[in-house]
Amino acid sequence: MARRIPRQAWALGLFLLILLLIPLAITNRYWMNLLITTFMFVSLGQAWNWVGGYAGQISFGHAAFFGLGAYTSTLLLTKFGVNPWLGMLAAGVVAIAVAFLIGWPVFRLQGHYFAIATIALGEILRIGFDNWEWAGGASGIELPIMESSFLHFQFFSKVPYYFIALALALITYGITWWMTNSKVGYYLRAIREDQDAARALGVNPTKYKYIALMLSAMITAFVGTFYAQYILFIDPASTMALDLSILISLVAVLGGAGSFLGPLLGAFLLIPINELTRSFLGGGGRAYNLIIYGALIMAIAIWQPGGLWELLERWRKRRRGRKQEVTHEAA
Amino acid sequence: MKKYLLVFILVLAFGFILAACAAPGGGGGGDVVKVGAVYPLSGATASTGEDLKQGVELALEIVNNKHDDLNLPMAKEEGVLKGKKLEVVFADHEGKPDKGKAEAERLITQEKVVALFGSYHSSVTKTASQAAEQAGIPFVNAESTNAKLSDRGFKWFFRTTPHDGTFAENAFQFMKDLNDEKGAGLKTVALVYENTDFGKGFANLAKGFAAQYGFDVVEEITYPAKTQSVSAEVQKLKAANPDAVIFVSYVSDAILYMNTMKDMGVAPKLVWANDAGFIASGFLENLGKDGEFITSREVWAADLAQARPLVAQVNKLYHDKYGEDMNGNSARAFTGMLVLADAIHRAGSTDPAKIQAALKATDIPGDQLIVPWKGIKFGDNGQNTLGSGIVVQVLDGKYTTVWPFDLKAADIVFPFPAWDAR
Repeated sequence: MARRIPRQAWALGLFLLILLLIPLAITNRYWMNLLITTFMFVSLGQAWNWVGGYAGQISFGHAAFFGLGAYTSTLLLTKFGVNPWLGMLAAGVVAIAVAFLIGWPVFRLQGHYFAIATIALGEILRIGFDNWEWAGGASGIELPIMESSFLHFQFFSKVPYYFIALALALITYGITWWMTNSKVGYYLRAIREDQDAARALGVNPTKYKYIALMLSAMITAFVGTFYAQYILFIDPASTMALDLSILISLVAVLGGAGSFLGPLLGAFLLIPINELTRSFLGGGGRAYNLIIYGALIMAIAIWQPGGLWELLERWRKRRRGRKQEVTHEAA
Repeated sequence: MKKYLLVFILVLAFGFILAACAAPGGGGGGDVVKVGAVYPLSGATASTGEDLKQGVELALEIVNNKHDDLNLPMAKEEGVLKGKKLEVVFADHEGKPDKGKAEAERLITQEKVVALFGSYHSSVTKTASQAAEQAGIPFVNAESTNAKLSDRGFKWFFRTTPHDGTFAENAFQFMKDLNDEKGAGLKTVALVYENTDFGKGFANLAKGFAAQYGFDVVEEITYPAKTQSVSAEVQKLKAANPDAVIFVSYVSDAILYMNTMKDMGVAPKLVWANDAGFIASGFLENLGKDGEFITSREVWAADLAQARPLVAQVNKLYHDKYGEDMNGNSARAFTGMLVLADAIHRAGSTDPAKIQAALKATDIPGDQLIVPWKGIKFGDNGQNTLGSGIVVQVLDGKYTTVWPFDLKAADIVFPFPAWDAR
């Protein structure tokens, strides 16, 4: 055990180094965009994983928090001239507040009913924003193009966006690390396995589900703000729609819900495949890209329902098993 | 733990290998000029995307081959820039603004296109044209109608289609022409619109133009599009007794209004609709005879062929190729691509600044177009200043062009006949 930790640190360090050096090697805007989008979904998938994976409360409404994040900072910027970095913090606060408010009714529901309630939440918000004229209505808001600077949270180059997206993903993973190694993580998993049993053992399920949901909403809103500053245009259809909620949950579920590395694997597999198949096969107008994308999702769902993570785990166990056999024979 | 790293690297490598395989071999040969088109080729508007793509492809065929019989820009030339072939690389944005931007950037950096074209959805046109603006290459938009698109101070954005502001103004130009040329005596107007962005946005524009053209808005009625009854609204309309009613409605509410107006015997002199519900396929299917004589704005109609034979010629080519008639979207995409090809040709090179200058100098007369515009000439904001919509009227169960009067396929029936006098 003592020997394995440094190795783990080595691997992590090397991985981070690669990520830090990538902008030196890749200057093409398209590939940078692909990586930035992937990092966004690493954060979104992992934030979803806290609620949907660790706590076992499947949410199909996370686009609501994403949209709230995008809209909070953008409205503050365009209507009141508030700096988008402050807007990002405000977005986090708004998302936490909304998570708190909706947690009260929806945490009384379990299983499918929780999932249905979150769909309703997302759709209500989207329709509300579609009709809210002051907030741009269905035609959305275009952000003013400003001089590239860190202060403005706006850059012509993709490199700063790359590092901000990477930082968000690292923060998200930091929180996950803390969660999995603290009592919160154990309580959440206990709640997922059997809420009543957990309660009987003195765990307050509502409190810990709240913690997971509020943190998750906050990170999702941060990414929403990032998206707004990155794309410079938001509307309810692109920031609050159900298909975004589903994509977020898909990243976590296909990667492995409730696992540490699952959302990362999911994002690095799903987002590039989604983007690349669209770019290189979608131009024909025959939707081959969606066929491949859909087939892949079905394949994983059928043969690997535990996600890519489970595949990895099984492979690791088999190797360890073989190694043990070898040592056994040698002894 | 080493294995985890291995998997990371595998996943990363997978992405990059896929990329390397799929990456195209640079900016095309010396005898091809590449243009990128970002369109909704999958998702909810895929069928519209298909129409747009077909319009663009037909335009390409005309640009790249000699068509001496067609009085269109680029028809008599073979290719652009002394015989180079014009090629369009299509990309799919799925109706999503972020994907539109990503595809626009890919077309610019990977495919090395000299100009961009698209993107139908105003929201996607916003982000895709940002990419062109940042890269400094022209973006020609042929079919997005959000008025604000041309108010952004962009230097590389050119829009051939008239926008929503022009369509709203058309309503009042049409009424003024009716007054001037047919002695219609229209003075008072009621606005009836559904209460979302679509209705409200149009109503705001309409109020401005009403004042400008000297009409009085005597009643404004807003309602939710999914309403079950509009009796109260029609009652209000009856009380206000306006000369003309302007509707902004979806299809089920449009049908409801017509039925209720018939029941209550409300028949203003002119019923004008802002497209949408009144020209949706369900409208006449449901109303039959009761849908007659309403007027609606349109962007294009095949019966323009009566006034402009060119429309019939091009529509025939289109029909031969795709087995269906052109529509407002394919006709506008077709026209936009010819405008871009013409500009590239006149620029004499693929240098973006020269194409931009050539676009600014564009001056195509109306008789070389298959769309009902007076011509194509861009203002300082990149908006075509000569665009216009048309007004169609339901006559014998067909939407028939009645305005502008010089492009009409039939005379307008005016006033809107009383319900018991039909």
